[in-house]
Amino acid sequence: MLMCRDLAEIASDYIDGELSGRQNLSVKMHLMMCKDCRTFIGNLRASTELLQAHSAGHPDEELLRRIDERVSEALKTRRPRDKDDE
Amino acid sequence: MDTAVHPDIEGSLIEALKQGDSTAYKQAVRDYSPGMLAVARFYLDHSSAEEIVQDCWVTVIDAIHKFEGRSGLKTWLHRIVANRCKNKLRSSKREVATDFSEGLEPELAERFNATGRWEVPPKLQFHESADSLMENGALSDCLDKHLSALPETQRSALMLYEAHQHKSEDVCNILDVSASNLRVLLHRARQKIFLMVETFQETGEC
Repeated sequence: MLMCRDLAEIASDYIDGELSGRQNLSVKMHLMMCKDCRTFIGNLRASTELLQAHSAGHPDEELLRRIDERVSEALKTRRPRDKDDE
Repeated sequence: MDTAVHPDIEGSLIEALKQGDSTAYKQAVRDYSPGMLAVARFYLDHSSAEEIVQDCWVTVIDAIHKFEGRSGLKTWLHRIVANRCKNKLRSSKREVATDFSEGLEPELAERFNATGRWEVPPKLQFHESADSLMENGALSDCLDKHLSALPETQRSALMLYEAHQHKSEDVCNILDVSASNLRVLLHRARQKIFLMVETFQETGEC
């Protein structure tokens, strides 16, 4: 029988739909009976969504500036001379 | 197929990159560099990783002409970074030290009793949506702090899977880890973030 600790170990696999049909069913049965694990799964899922929302941005501006500089230098040397550039 | 960019938009971007359009490069650098850096950080220290990402963009200027679109642009870029990092590691004979040991984060494992039931169950339900939680500046700062404290391997796996929405098999190819090890990395990183949010909600402290 699946215990709370077992469920916590495979919680990410459950959230991502990576469990086998049988494992998935055991988790669902356990969740029907266990409020604490329902809260845990809900909170782990919320944490995952939070990460997706949070980590989409935050580029390092200084690094981007340095890359832009190197790319524009490199583009100049590779472009055909007859191309009109500013 | 990549999920982040509509194929038509990506197709136009690729064409512009092939033409050497500097505006397109600026846009691509902004859109794709954070993910490329996440890949590089899996393998290398911060300054080497930044160097590799810069070098890769210069490589892309020539290599983009050979890009045939068998994968999405993002996956292609991430593979270039990963290959370059692996070459660098090979030449310096270093290896990525990764802990793939199974199980729960110790702080979470302590919350179960000997029979495997919760001894200290989650007290609060995270009742707010991710978007409204993100409006809390202090929580956002706290998340930044905890993300930067994650082992690089966990953070890179998390970034590629969650933020850059790669499929598992792409993350495994890029980071050179097995599917089961990727699951371990993801689960351990998520548990840490779960524990952080829980502490923040209970105490208001990071």
